[in-house]
Amino acid sequence: MSSSIGEKCTKIKQEYDGCFNNWYSEKFLKGDATPQCDDLFFKYKECLMQTLEEKKLDTLIADARKDNPFPNASSSSSSSKSESSSKKE
Amino acid sequence: MVKFYQHTSSFEHAWDNVTYAFWLRYPNPFASHVLGCDVLDRSVDPATGVLRTTRLILKKGVLPRWGRNLIKNVDTYIIEESVVDPRTHTMVTRTKNLNHVRVMQVEETQTFTVHPENSKWTQVKTEARIISELRWGLTGRVESFGINKFMDNSAKARKGMAHILERLRQNAAMAAATPATAGAPSSGSSSPSKE
Repeated sequence: MSSSIGEKCTKIKQEYDGCFNNWYSEKFLKGDATPQCDDLFFKYKECLMQTLEEKKLDTLIADARKDNPFPNASSSSSSSKSESSSKKE
Repeated sequence: MVKFYQHTSSFEHAWDNVTYAFWLRYPNPFASHVLGCDVLDRSVDPATGVLRTTRLILKKGVLPRWGRNLIKNVDTYIIEESVVDPRTHTMVTRTKNLNHVRVMQVEETQTFTVHPENSKWTQVKTEARIISELRWGLTGRVESFGINKFMDNSAKARKGMAHILERLRQNAAMAAATPATAGAPSSGSSSPSKE
């Protein structure tokens, strides 16, 4: 499994990856989309967001994501609370 | 100036495995330039069942000598957005670089579908757009460099995926060869790869 861009997040990231990989191959591809790794993802993302702020990457990413590559594929139904302020244009 | 690139290739592996390998593809021996990869967002649309993911990838950059005055820190951040529709067996990914965009912006879209001629294979359509806003006669050079570099990287990415897929196949074969099922005919025989 790959490292996180923030060194301190690699451990939790790999835990999350393990959970996701298992979910993807054993559940999602078999038709069961019930979330299974939300708690790990939340912890991982908390660590990651700190790193992105430290590296001043947060605004760069926010700008890049304004341009939605998949306009037909659902509105962004992000489950994470920290994303609720993102604006759609 | 803009340059376009298009390529269709295939993997002799089922669509499920190819999309799974997509998530596992870093690290691999052909991606030593990938320093990190993070998931920024991920959710399943309850109405359509489509999995949508945004990832951030950090790559160690390489520049020719003439480019070193243009960019001091060549590490590049890539944003990768993807959708996986398990019902239609379609995965679409789009990647683009976040920094150095004035020098060069590379936007790549890949579509993974079940191969039209063999349902156990996967077809991958790659489309890319390379744009440079530089002036002073450098644009052409940057873009030629960009397209060559892009094709190199594309080939490396395919090798990386093939490597992961082969590992998955070996794991599956090993699991199938446990004492309980030993002696069953092997379905994992490899044939010449077709690209």
